[in-house]
Amino acid sequence: MECSNIQEKLSAYIEEILSPEERTLFYGHLYSCHKCSQALSDLSKTMEYIKNLEGVEPPPWLTQKVMARIRADAVPEKGIIQRLFYPLHIKLPIEVAATIAIAITTIYIFKAIQPEMKLAKAPAEVITSEEKAKKDVIPQSPPLAKGASPRSYQLGGQPSPQDPVEKLSIEGEGGFITDQPKPAKKPELFETKKAPEAPVQVMEQDKTALLTGSVAKEEAKRESMPASAKSKTALPGEKEERISFTITVKDIETAYKEIEKTVTQLGGKVIKTESFENKNIITIEIDSQKMNELSGKLKLIGEVKEVAALYGLKGNIVIRLEIAKF
Amino acid sequence: MKGNEERTGDEDFENLSRCKKGDIDAFELLVKKYQKRMLNIAYRVIGDYEDACEVVQDAFVSAYKNIKDFREQSRFSTWLYTIVVNLSRNRLKQIKTEFQHVEYSIDDPLITDDAGIKVEPVSGNPSALEILERKEIQQKVQECINSLDNEYREVIVLRDIQGFPYDEISNMLNIPEGTVKSRLFRARETLKESLKKMIGDL
Repeated sequence: MECSNIQEKLSAYIEEILSPEERTLFYGHLYSCHKCSQALSDLSKTMEYIKNLEGVEPPPWLTQKVMARIRADAVPEKGIIQRLFYPLHIKLPIEVAATIAIAITTIYIFKAIQPEMKLAKAPAEVITSEEKAKKDVIPQSPPLAKGASPRSYQLGGQPSPQDPVEKLSIEGEGGFITDQPKPAKKPELFETKKAPEAPVQVMEQDKTALLTGSVAKEEAKRESMPASAKSKTALPGEKEERISFTITVKDIETAYKEIEKTVTQLGGKVIKTESFENKNIITIEIDSQKMNELSGKLKLIGEVKEVAALYGLKGNIVIRLEIAKF
Repeated sequence: MKGNEERTGDEDFENLSRCKKGDIDAFELLVKKYQKRMLNIAYRVIGDYEDACEVVQDAFVSAYKNIKDFREQSRFSTWLYTIVVNLSRNRLKQIKTEFQHVEYSIDDPLITDDAGIKVEPVSGNPSALEILERKEIQQKVQECINSLDNEYREVIVLRDIQGFPYDEISNMLNIPEGTVKSRLFRARETLKESLKKMIGDL
């Protein structure tokens, strides 16, 4: 064995992992080689020094510090989870309270918007019953009128410009009971359906103040009023426009017969005859288009004076003819 | 030396189970048990006491965090030591790059600060001089170790200082036993040479 070989094998020798043959060779070399035996000696001493290194003690705070760090890392996670999932005895009362609060709020809101829901329905009713000339207005019964906002009213009748005038004239009259006449009026409404031009209007809520209480009265008046798009002076108490003629003749009876004949010729008819000392009053009904002709014919019979005359009328009209003697 | 206290696998099993369930106090027992050896490994590899203390803390904290992943195939202690060796190695690299020089020169007397270190008392009643001499020598030895490459340091510390068996070292360093031995023999030679230079005649 060479010195270089020996150097490599020193540790192995020390660790006692050399084979028996190698060991024999090793001994042989070492015995004669000072250098290598010195090397072995040095190595053994080195390992001694290393092994004799004393162990160090850990500082007393080391464990505490380690545990503190571990605990610090652990806590926040728990905190978050704890926050999300509160124990049951805390969670339940909170949930119950929240549910009750929601329920109360819902009921309150529902009550508050209920009247508005009714109002929303009302216009739909108006539109569906538009065939009727006059609408039935149902004023609110007193308790309801106090609390909730009233329903919308519907009225059939004159165009708006006329309304204020008519209302005033009507309100001046008294004696109508709001509720009772209503049922009675209904059949009347349908029977006395007037001229097609009668517009049906939907009144806004803001007129309810006036209408409440006086609506029924107005209704009664409207029923009896003749409907006409262009009529300006409506005579109360009459359904149709009335015209008055006064004709002055020599002989009443002759004139009467002539007039009767003329009226019949023109397609009209005599409704009423009233005889007085020196005059006759004939009430005739005739088509308004024939008015001119009638007027002309009357002038042939006698002196004609129109008390009230209306032109441009449509439909049948009633004429009050007064025959007077010279 | 300290080689044969590794039969603690069974002892640790109960504590380990508790730790896995989140019992932090059970872990404290493990810390107290292993902290000294952990520190010595770290100290001899790194060469600095304070750094070693920090590394040991890091090692324990890391162990606790990953304790659920630990499978009982290897011993808990081995697992623990592996962590501290790895962290020590990392710390060493860090220190070396910070200082920017890689090699400790033996010609420069590097004095490590042993001021706060508690050392095990040796049997007998040594005189003050002897104590001082001993301390000086040990300091020098450590310096020589510090002059070794990282790989050599590890094997020297684990085998010649800590006395771990070759198979365990193989596990810790994740290298075959043969490599452990060859590395160790070369490490010893290098250390011998540097020690001779440092001390003179051994």
